[in-house]
Amino acid sequence: MTMTSRAGISVDRLEAAARRDPGPADVGDALPPAQRKPASRALLARHSPWILTMLSVAAGVVVWAIASRTLDSPLFPSPLRIAQALIESIGNGTLLADIAVSVRRIAIGFVLGCLVGVPLGLAMGLFPLVRAFCDPVVQFLRFVPPIAWLIPAIMWFGIGETSKIAIIFYMTVFLVLLNTMTGVAAIPRNQLRSAENYGVSGWQLFAWIVFPATLSYSVAGARIAMGNSFAAVVGAELIAANAGLGYRIVDSGQWMAMDQMFGAMLVLGLLGIAADRLARLLATRFLRHYVHADDHGD
Amino acid sequence: MATEPVAAGSQAAEQGSIAVRDVSFGFGSGRPEVLDDVTFDVASGEFFVLLGPSGCGKSTVLNLIAGFEQPTQGTVLASGRPVAGAARDRVVIFQDSDSLYGWLTVRDNVTFPLRVQGIAARERDERALAALKVVGLKGHEDKYPGELSGGMKQRTQLARALVLDAPILLMDEPFAALDAQTRSILQDELVQLSVTMRRTVLFITHDIGEAILLGDRVGIMRAGPGSSIKETIVVHLSRPRRRGSAEFGALYDRIHRSISEEVQQALRREDSLL
Repeated sequence: MTMTSRAGISVDRLEAAARRDPGPADVGDALPPAQRKPASRALLARHSPWILTMLSVAAGVVVWAIASRTLDSPLFPSPLRIAQALIESIGNGTLLADIAVSVRRIAIGFVLGCLVGVPLGLAMGLFPLVRAFCDPVVQFLRFVPPIAWLIPAIMWFGIGETSKIAIIFYMTVFLVLLNTMTGVAAIPRNQLRSAENYGVSGWQLFAWIVFPATLSYSVAGARIAMGNSFAAVVGAELIAANAGLGYRIVDSGQWMAMDQMFGAMLVLGLLGIAADRLARLLATRFLRHYVHADDHGD
Repeated sequence: MATEPVAAGSQAAEQGSIAVRDVSFGFGSGRPEVLDDVTFDVASGEFFVLLGPSGCGKSTVLNLIAGFEQPTQGTVLASGRPVAGAARDRVVIFQDSDSLYGWLTVRDNVTFPLRVQGIAARERDERALAALKVVGLKGHEDKYPGELSGGMKQRTQLARALVLDAPILLMDEPFAALDAQTRSILQDELVQLSVTMRRTVLFITHDIGEAILLGDRVGIMRAGPGSSIKETIVVHLSRPRRRGSAEFGALYDRIHRSISEEVQQALRREDSLL
């Protein structure tokens, strides 16, 4: 508890805030009442990450508002206008419909990408022949971005859902595959040797050792893919779409409805944060132990 | 396998014995041999320590007996049968505790070898609890390896090996990464354990004191490359052995001289090559 200076601000406190970590504030609760800081300071300390987050958001809004007022251009709508447009789109149902369409595309493409990426990554990590065969293709395709496939995808799969899902799938599958492959290579040799020692057979090795040992790598890849999906869905909805947040951005831009456009962008960003937070929450809740024992340190 | 009877034709070899005969090992042509003509025997129930300077190929000998590697020349016999791959009758305890499965609790780590054999859950748990009691980990069954200290991780590894009732334990510098105090405690416990369990133990170390404290016999290896057994010393001291005793000190000096002689010669050999 020595880390707080008189002014209530210290490097440790700032670092804790940067980690969004309530940190030392929790320790304060454990102290007997006599040693506690004044209530107002304790309150500030406990909520400081949140207060800073709020301040950061408020600062962003203020900067935007000032810029909007100074430029006074229809191309730069005020935060209030954007909020009004958002409320309007909630009222007439378009926003929820757009969200539903985009989230569905992301969800299907993402899940399919994981379902193909994890087994393929495990196979490429485990079997040198599979790796030798697949690696050149994988290495090539990972440098061809999803957006480059937009036109062929529409031509092959039509203007319906399939082409959009295919773009998300493509983006997900390589990230998950490459991470999973790295995970297989990172399995400690002793873990495989001990399994060999106990007479673990082929499928047991796969299900009981290789899969759990690489799970944290697969999930890390999936989390990056989840984040990128929100970028990719905009690309997928650029052409030949009639709903979705990406479509809304393009469409309202063409009509010069900048408030609607920025509203859709705002929602996209917020959904991305929410998805990432949810993924992180689930990972810490259920996958806490799926890292190698020695990574925890003693 | 531990439960199989000794194969016909090798009746003379006792269950749990180890025989390493004229074994050489290398990683391919053009590169120097790691081992050159290693020969030694370990009797059933004996505690044999393999001691040598680092990089001399001690662990390679263990890996050959474990069946993780195959010798380029020569034969390795366990309980009189030629070693062909890893098996449950020779259980390895690794130096690095990363051989524990981080996603399983201590109990599930220890029952794992039994689960592989398809033994029923109730029997698995009973045997695991018994093994955990022996290594002093009772009450820690539900912890994960990441929540354990270095010493407790090695105790878990030991329990996972004991649960199999294998006649041979292969210990590859199991205490080398621990702090001095924990190491000393575990050494003492292993001495007691080895007296009661009467299993064959091959113990690898580069610590002379540890070798004298634990071993019935100590095999000293030459400096690599092309290492072999230089000499084998019988430790006649009665247990429990005290590091401070005069006999301990005398034996320590004798082994220390033998090893430094070996290291000096190796340095001269390298010199003459340059």
